[in-house]
Amino acid sequence: MTAPMINLRQVSKSYDRGGETLKVLQALDFEVASGSFEALMGPSGSGKSTLLNLIAGLDRPTAGTIEVAGTRIDTLGEGALAKWRANTLGFIFQAYNLIPVLTAVENVELPLLLAPVASRERRRRAETALRVVGLEDRSLHYPRQLSGGQEQRVAIARAIVNDPTLLVADEPTGDLDRASADDVLRLLETLNKELKKTIIMVTHDPVAAERATVVRRLDKGSLA
Amino acid sequence: MNLASFAARNVLRNRFRTVLTVLGVAVAVVAFLLLRTVVYAWTMAADFAAKDRVVTRHKVTFIMTLPKRYVDDVRTAPGIKVVTFANWFGGKDPKHDTEFFSAVAVDTKSFFQVYDEMRVADADLERWQTDRSGAIVGDVLAKKLGWHVGDKVTLESGIYPDDPQNPWTFTIDGIYTAMAKSVDRSTFVFHWDRLNDRIATRGQNEVGWIVSRVDDPRHVAETSLALDRLFDDREVQTLSQDEGAFNASFLAGFSAVLRAIDVVSLVILVIMTLILGNTVAMGVRERTNEYGVLRAIGFFPRHIAAFVLGEAVVTGCVGGVLGIVLAYPLIERGMGRWLEENMGVMFPYFRIETSMVAVALGASVVLAGAAAAIPAWRASRLRVTDALRRVA
Ligand SMILES: Nc1ncnc2c1ncn2[C@@H]1O[C@H](COP(=O)(O)OP(=O)(O)O)[C@@H](O)[C@H]1O
Ligand SMILES: [Mg+2]
Repeated sequence: MTAPMINLRQVSKSYDRGGETLKVLQALDFEVASGSFEALMGPSGSGKSTLLNLIAGLDRPTAGTIEVAGTRIDTLGEGALAKWRANTLGFIFQAYNLIPVLTAVENVELPLLLAPVASRERRRRAETALRVVGLEDRSLHYPRQLSGGQEQRVAIARAIVNDPTLLVADEPTGDLDRASADDVLRLLETLNKELKKTIIMVTHDPVAAERATVVRRLDKGSLA
Repeated sequence: MNLASFAARNVLRNRFRTVLTVLGVAVAVVAFLLLRTVVYAWTMAADFAAKDRVVTRHKVTFIMTLPKRYVDDVRTAPGIKVVTFANWFGGKDPKHDTEFFSAVAVDTKSFFQVYDEMRVADADLERWQTDRSGAIVGDVLAKKLGWHVGDKVTLESGIYPDDPQNPWTFTIDGIYTAMAKSVDRSTFVFHWDRLNDRIATRGQNEVGWIVSRVDDPRHVAETSLALDRLFDDREVQTLSQDEGAFNASFLAGFSAVLRAIDVVSLVILVIMTLILGNTVAMGVRERTNEYGVLRAIGFFPRHIAAFVLGEAVVTGCVGGVLGIVLAYPLIERGMGRWLEENMGVMFPYFRIETSMVAVALGASVVLAGAAAAIPAWRASRLRVTDALRRVA
């Protein structure tokens, strides 16, 4: 058996809230196998986003160890962590979070600005990623000229342009209508099956969860 | 697209606000340059007034002349360093009928000692001193009329008779340049002896005015009075005035105003910094979520700081350049020309000091950086998760 893509051991996370300590995650053990497509469900405030942010190296645990794609990220410095994110990870947000002053293709190109890639090659890779999400004909549109579903697909193109091994999505269909949500889910499924991306996705949507190969429930900071 | 062009996109993001900020900086720079120019012009006027020169002329009017032997009396008077004398010649070049300039017959030995801010090459000066038909002209005049060293030019005097047998032909022996901004760079000077020899015996050995330099500029007023007293009982009375005596007393009363203007020009820079700081702070607040996204994608804190700083510096720089571009026509063409022509005593030279342009541009860039420093630092220090939770 290969090493898991994600391996959390005894991870706790608490927030300071005006002197009070809010314990969100407590001594959590969590593994995700390479190549799987997992859905994480659970009530609001149960700590799903917190867990996802820890996996994505956006936040640090209060205790415990986190290994993702073979790297201990809880001990990495700020700079090394940023570099690791740029190379290993694609993050998909509920609110798409495209940069409004950039066109679709430029938004997709953004992560490549950090890599030693020539400008023409950057553009070529960004266009390829847009083709993967089926939006090559919208490359010069600005986010405000796109529908919500299209925006999210551009955001997915941005997440995969660096060819990361792991995709992390926090309620990617939360703001979308059914049809657009299905498009996005189909796309994630394809990325998992064809491009072998490991995907972990937080969702409230049972239909979305059905697409995943594994469904987990988080309640009050522990996995059910 | 690269990092710089991405940053540049953001500058124009809120066009209206950016334009207002750029205009704010530009107006601040114009105001700053205007105030600095006032201070500069006044200081220059004071510098001219501080000169140690005394002009002695006929008490009644400067059209009337003085006996040349007065020159020796002035020279031996106490407190006098060097003396020279001159006669007005008038004159114009008939080939350039509309160009007016001063042509003056001067004492070749002493003229450039007394007016030492007019500089002539030593070799040219020596050649001129031994060349009775020689002349030295100002660089501006030479350029305007296309004269070069060695050229022969013929002038007509409006005062002294023109004799076709013996025209007023001169050889340009040298061209003087000005070491001070007060100097008229269009004067034509030639041998006083030559003029004196052409004058009928009755009017010979008369000088238009005597100019002397005193040992101690602080005593210039007393020395002037002493000179006039010297000639009180003689056949012609004199009036001696130090150059710009009026300026000196006038400006003294203004030193407090100058200091106030100094302070106000600094206040303007502070206001400019606040305008920029406000714009930067608003931009950062609006884009906090975006900075979180960029950090999540893998951008470093220093990228975020550079974006914030770069945006402010570009805005400050554009505003600074615009301000300078606006200031020149406004200050030098408009106000400056008018002031020089109509209030020349107070503002003999109302021009922007070149070094102040550098200061203004430097200040708009540096202060923009300073205004952005704290927001940039804060934006770069944001925790990614906090930034992402912030909704614009
Ligand atoms: N940065 C933070 N500071 C303080 N409390 C936080 C922070 N982030 C999350 N929380 C709290 O932690 C709990 C879990 O939040 P979250 O992980 O966003 O839940 P979910 O995504 O499952 O809805 C909530 O009570 C939330 O208010
Ligand atoms: Mg959440």
